[in-house]
Amino acid sequence: MGIGPSTKETSLHHFRDPLLAVATSDDDLDVVGVVLVGTPQDNDDKMFVGKRAAVWLEAMRVDGAILSCDGWGNSHVDFANTIKEIGSRNIPVVGVTFNGVQAQFVVTNKYMDTIVDINKSEEGIETEVVGENSADYIDAKKAVALLKLKMQRGV
Amino acid sequence: MSNNEIQMRRLVIKSFHIEEVKYGEEFAIDNGSLTIVKDFLNDKMNKDLIESVKINIIKPYEHDMYVNSIMDVMPISTKVLGQLGEGITHTLTGVYVMLTGADVDGVQMAEFGSSEGILKEQMYFGRPGTPNVDDYIIHVDVTFTRGCMSSRKYPLEGHRVCDLFVQEIRNILKKLPGHKCTERHDFYDKIRPGKKRVAIVKQIAGQGVMYDNQLFSKEPSGFEGGRSIIDIGNVPIILTPNEYRDGALRSMV
Repeated sequence: MGIGPSTKETSLHHFRDPLLAVATSDDDLDVVGVVLVGTPQDNDDKMFVGKRAAVWLEAMRVDGAILSCDGWGNSHVDFANTIKEIGSRNIPVVGVTFNGVQAQFVVTNKYMDTIVDINKSEEGIETEVVGENSADYIDAKKAVALLKLKMQRGV
Repeated sequence: MSNNEIQMRRLVIKSFHIEEVKYGEEFAIDNGSLTIVKDFLNDKMNKDLIESVKINIIKPYEHDMYVNSIMDVMPISTKVLGQLGEGITHTLTGVYVMLTGADVDGVQMAEFGSSEGILKEQMYFGRPGTPNVDDYIIHVDVTFTRGCMSSRKYPLEGHRVCDLFVQEIRNILKKLPGHKCTERHDFYDKIRPGKKRVAIVKQIAGQGVMYDNQLFSKEPSGFEGGRSIIDIGNVPIILTPNEYRDGALRSMV
């Protein structure tokens, strides 16, 4: 329950994040900002920060959002909740995280119908190889394409 | 429709390519050659938390070596003009810093699976977050005192001393003449009226030892002066695309 070596995003990853690069270079999108939300330990806190993130998005009047998460297991509790909070506000949302074989969602909801699985290992596991399963440009392009379709369709 | 863009602010990132990294008496960058001081950190660590720090230059393709768990890979970047997210940033390409750590008993500094082992087997080169095989790596290996996974103090001290070292390089990088950069990239925070408004939400770690992130440090991808997402209470924080692109987030997972 946490972030393994193969999915973790290094400082270098954040500096040249493919998700931001792909989204801001798409002429159909107006990228309004990057929202960072933490992953607290306590369950009530998880629900609290996820809801606050969704209320921010509602207030920003966004047409859509991409939620990425570089951990799994326990982190997927936060992830599922935040997607639900965003989706239930009629904001189309696409998730980006690691599933593979090993990290199927512990909880799900109806808004989790467009998830980009960043697994790249053949066995679908946390390989403990730094960078192996972290999000790359193909994952980012998939996420942006899915979001554009979802926004066109309306939620 | 696409011509009514409103540009709010500009961030210019100038990169300087490094062809060679070597040891020397003082930090220097000269014609694509970076000189570092191997024992710079020897008297700068908190001895209650850190036993020793080793600095090692890893040459391109020479990855058949043992490393402790990889705590972070970071770029060497510095603000030259303006604040994070605007103005001018200088960054080095061809060389990245890798921070590894374990304690005196060999307990790895890692929260959920660790990456110690032979470097070429434990690092997937060429991803957005990892160096290329033909890049130089400055390896900062921290040996913590006993019990490194017992408190946030340990990884924080590891990141702090690593940042002290990187700052010495930044101080020189700051003064390089901008027109001699290898590449220049201009990024704008902008409004595109009529286009689909989209936010990127990043869920980041915020629970404790090796499960932390530092925001808005003084220098891009730096440590000094940053605020931990844990101490902020993990609540959502909004960054402009350029702030994020300028290294506002220091990974501590």
